This record gives sequence, C-alpha cells and structure tokens, in this order.
Amino acid sequence: MNKYLLNGLYFLFAIIIISAFAFKLFQPIKVLPRMQLAPAFNLTDQNDARLTSEELRGKFVLYNFTYVNCPAPCYNLNKTMQEVQTRLSEAELGDIQVEFITISFDPDRDTSAVLRTYADSIGADTKQWSFATNTNKALLKTIIGSGFETYYEDKGDGKFAFDPSFVLVDGWGIVRAEYRYQTEVSDADRIIRHLSVLAEEVRNSTGTAKLAYEAAHLFLCYAP
Amino acid sequence: MKLKIGIAITIFFTGLALGVYFFSPHTFHGTVIQSPNPSFDFTLTGADGDVSLSDFRGKLVVIYFGYTFCPDICPATLANVGQALRRMNENQSKNVQLIMISLDPERDTPKKLSEYVVHFYPSFIGITGSNEKLAEVTSLYGIFYEKSAGSTTENYTIDHTATLLVIDREGYLKLVFPFGVTVDEIADDLKYMLR
Repeated sequence: MNKYLLNGLYFLFAIIIISAFAFKLFQPIKVLPRMQLAPAFNLTDQNDARLTSEELRGKFVLYNFTYVNCPAPCYNLNKTMQEVQTRLSEAELGDIQVEFITISFDPDRDTSAVLRTYADSIGADTKQWSFATNTNKALLKTIIGSGFETYYEDKGDGKFAFDPSFVLVDGWGIVRAEYRYQTEVSDADRIIRHLSVLAEEVRNSTGTAKLAYEAAHLFLCYAP
Repeated sequence: MKLKIGIAITIFFTGLALGVYFFSPHTFHGTVIQSPNPSFDFTLTGADGDVSLSDFRGKLVVIYFGYTFCPDICPATLANVGQALRRMNENQSKNVQLIMISLDPERDTPKKLSEYVVHFYPSFIGITGSNEKLAEVTSLYGIFYEKSAGSTTENYTIDHTATLLVIDREGYLKLVFPFGVTVDEIADDLKYMLR
C-alpha cells in the first residue's frame, strides 16, 4: 500500500481514538443513565381520582414510597420532597413540568380520605404532589417492589419494613435516577441537579445535538 | 512554512470529518436502555403451549402488546416489523423473533392469535394469559392498557401504550421504539444489533 495512504490511515485512527478518549476524559456533556422502563400503573389518588402512568408522559416525575402510619424516617422523606418542590426554580426546567408522587404500600389503611388528611397534615402542595395507592396488593407489589425496585414488607404489626428511596422518571417513562435515602448528604441537592441535567437533554433531543448526547450515553458520561 | 501548516490543518480536519462519517457509532432510532438487569422473564400461553421470553435467548426478541380486534395501530405496527424482517437477509431475519402479547384474553384465544400474527410474518408468535398475569407483565414493561366501552359488551376496544420493545440476545431490554417508527428505522437498528 502507498506509504502516504497508510500514514493517512494511521493518522485518521489516531484522531478518532484521541477524540473518543478526550470525550470520555473531559465529558463535555453529562447525562443520566436510561436505567429501565418505569412500571405502568393505575392508582387512586387522595381525591379518589384515577392516576395513571400514561397521563404522566411528557413530565418528569419524582416518586417516593411510604405509608401514613410510618414513624420518624418518613417525615424526612417528605421533607426532601417538599424541599425539591420548593427549590424547583433552581433546576432550569423551562417548559417541562415536574410531578411528585408518593405511593402508599398500605392500601388497607391508606384510603383516599386518609391520604388527603395526611397530605394536608404535612402541608403538601397537592397541585403538583399526589398521594396514591392501589387496593390490589399483588399488583402494588409488582409496581413498587419489582417495577420501582423498592423493597417493602408488611411486618404484620401495623408496621412496614422498607427501603426509603426516591425514583426519578423522565417524560418517556424511563427511570433515570434512583436515590437510596441518605442522611449524610442532601438528596434534594442531587435531585435538583439531576432535573437540570435531564431538562438540558430534553432540550437537545433533536438534530445534531442529539448525536452529542447519544455519545455521552455511549461513553457513560453520567452526572454525579 | 505557512503553506505546510495550512495543508496540515486541512488534512487534519478532512481526516476528522471522514473519521466521524465512517467510524461514528450507530445512531439508534429507538431509545437505548442501559438496564443492568435482565428483562422480566414472563411465561404466557401460545397456540402450541407455554411460551417464555427466555425460550428465545440468543435471538433478538421484539415484543408488541396489542390485540387482534385492534383497528389500526396494531396491524400497522406488526406490518412494519414484518416488512423490516423482509428487508434483512435470511441469516438476520431468522435471528429475530416477534412476540405479540394480546391484552384481550377474552376474545383472543391462543389459536386465533396465532392465525392473526402469521399474516404479518410467518415466524411471528402470539401469546396471552390471565388478566392477573397480563397486569404483571404489562406493568413491568411500562405498558398501560384499559378497556374502552363500545356500542355492545363485545364491541369494546383497548387503549394501550403502542411502543415496540427490543430485547437483546442476552435477555436485556435494549431498545424502545415509539409508535410511528418506520420500516427502515426498525430494520436499521435490528441489523445493527445482529452484527
């Protein structure tokens, strides 16, 4: 093969490898991983109205899972939800709407009326934050346990053992982040940061910019 | 000297452009999922007995949720997948398995389902199951569905999420195609995944 052509090819490969390495090293674009499909559901909210996964398409949704009779730790989970809701303007969301949904895994006691009273008692802004459940316990276990991968177990004495967590789902119904409740650092800070990252990706989800974002997914350039 | 620098810069950018064009990674038309866990392994009933997702390990599995009385979206989507497979060579198409999961077990018997899906492509499989089983499978695959009343009790339709899901050869959900994806786009992504 012609010496110049061969050198040209080496040069070309070197540029590609350097470019890819530079992209991975400097990570000019950050994304959140597309972890899995969020489960579909049909729940009943605090106003006894239907709440389905389908009507949440196009919105970012932050979920958490609890029960009304939960002692102390749940108070902190609610505080985080409230903090994110209050500080939402920091997230540079543009036109993208965010919903907050707390799903109760105790449908026997957490009726719509009980959930409504609970929402009022913690001062939740229910225009944006819904409290919901489903009386079909097997299906609820599928949705929360398998779909959202959040462990909970009825201990039989009116209490539940569960992993406190938040799950962030994008407008396509894909889980983009999971937050296993931490006491040392604020989950709210991370959630707000992640909402910004996600909104930026949505704004750049067409044309040439999309290619750059897909490259960021390919190179695992994940936001901390 | 200036001329040499000019030539070097021109070569650099030409090389970069050619490199990006020829060696850039495939851009998927569907949304890529990077799930760390294998897809939920369901078992439902087909015309020849039980069918599980894991039966097709080693092949790409395209899953579509619909029903045979579906007036427009389901046949259009199944026809698109059938055409996409016809645009592949035999070695490629035999490594893709479409499974249609019927959301209407009351009207769609396994036999009827089987007869329906092969109209679109000979290897297509149709399966269904109890309402409880379907509720579990659909929820875990992000598929919402509900009955919509018709003029008579038998004449109902079913509103459902119309995405196409692609499970890779190792059993992981890899791609989600939105409704409206074209034949070329399906064929393009499936061919790439079969490389």
